[in-house]
Amino acid sequence: MSSTSQKHKEFVAEPMGEKPVMALAGIGEVLGGKLEEKGFDKAYVVLGQFLVLKKDEELFRDWLKDTCGANAKQQRDCYGCLKEWCDAFL
Amino acid sequence: MASLDNKSPQEISDLLDEYGIKHGPVVGTTRNLYVKKLKEAMAKGKKAKPSSDKTYYREEEEEVTYVYKTPTKSETSGDGGPYMRSRREWAEGEYGHDTSYSSYSSSRPEYRGRDLVNEPYMYDTPSTYSSNSYAKPTPMKSEPEKPKAQKSSRLIPLWLQFVFFLALAAFLYLVFSNMETNEPIQGIV
Repeated sequence: MSSTSQKHKEFVAEPMGEKPVMALAGIGEVLGGKLEEKGFDKAYVVLGQFLVLKKDEELFRDWLKDTCGANAKQQRDCYGCLKEWCDAFL
Repeated sequence: MASLDNKSPQEISDLLDEYGIKHGPVVGTTRNLYVKKLKEAMAKGKKAKPSSDKTYYREEEEEVTYVYKTPTKSETSGDGGPYMRSRREWAEGEYGHDTSYSSYSSSRPEYRGRDLVNEPYMYDTPSTYSSNSYAKPTPMKSEPEKPKAQKSSRLIPLWLQFVFFLALAAFLYLVFSNMETNEPIQGIV
């Protein structure tokens, strides 16, 4: 298992509730701002998008790249974070 | 070419299927992504049709996989037991297997119940790969497919394999006969 960041561990440890989108691993200030502009202002909205894309890695990563310009690492981190959260709580 | 923007979500979904692009529902937030993917696919000019044709191939494919599978299965299972029994176990295991066998199971259910008829049936697929039985009161289309399966299963022609084998044997004999030993080796050679 590749090493995960502190942010990742904190996110997947509990239900996300009303956490902001910047709580997602891989999503910092800049990306978070862009996502909020597009209407994805909470982590659960991004979760919704993740689910609508059927939790598919390629689709989600492409979407993330198109929506906020995330690079490969950020895409990977965000996907991994959401996937693990879903495995635990969904 | 009709603009993708004017298409309904259902049409977008159908197009994605035509190009073989895996996708979820086409909703407000996903539409852009899918339209972009469709444009890329169209630009590449690739057109992957869904798998309706593949069912035809499956019957032949499965025939070929029998060729590869049967040696290992018959060798590992039932070495001590009768040859027939190991074959039957294998066949029944394959039936349990899955979807693509539906064509077989639908055409040969009557053979499963009857031991007597099992016998000719059993030999039909094993005989594709080799050795023993050429008993063929085989019902299906396995006959025309047998030579095909044989041909397609060999990358190197059989005669060439024999030639290599004989060459190797001759080489080894030469090496052996030229070895210096204290005692005569006639007993061995």
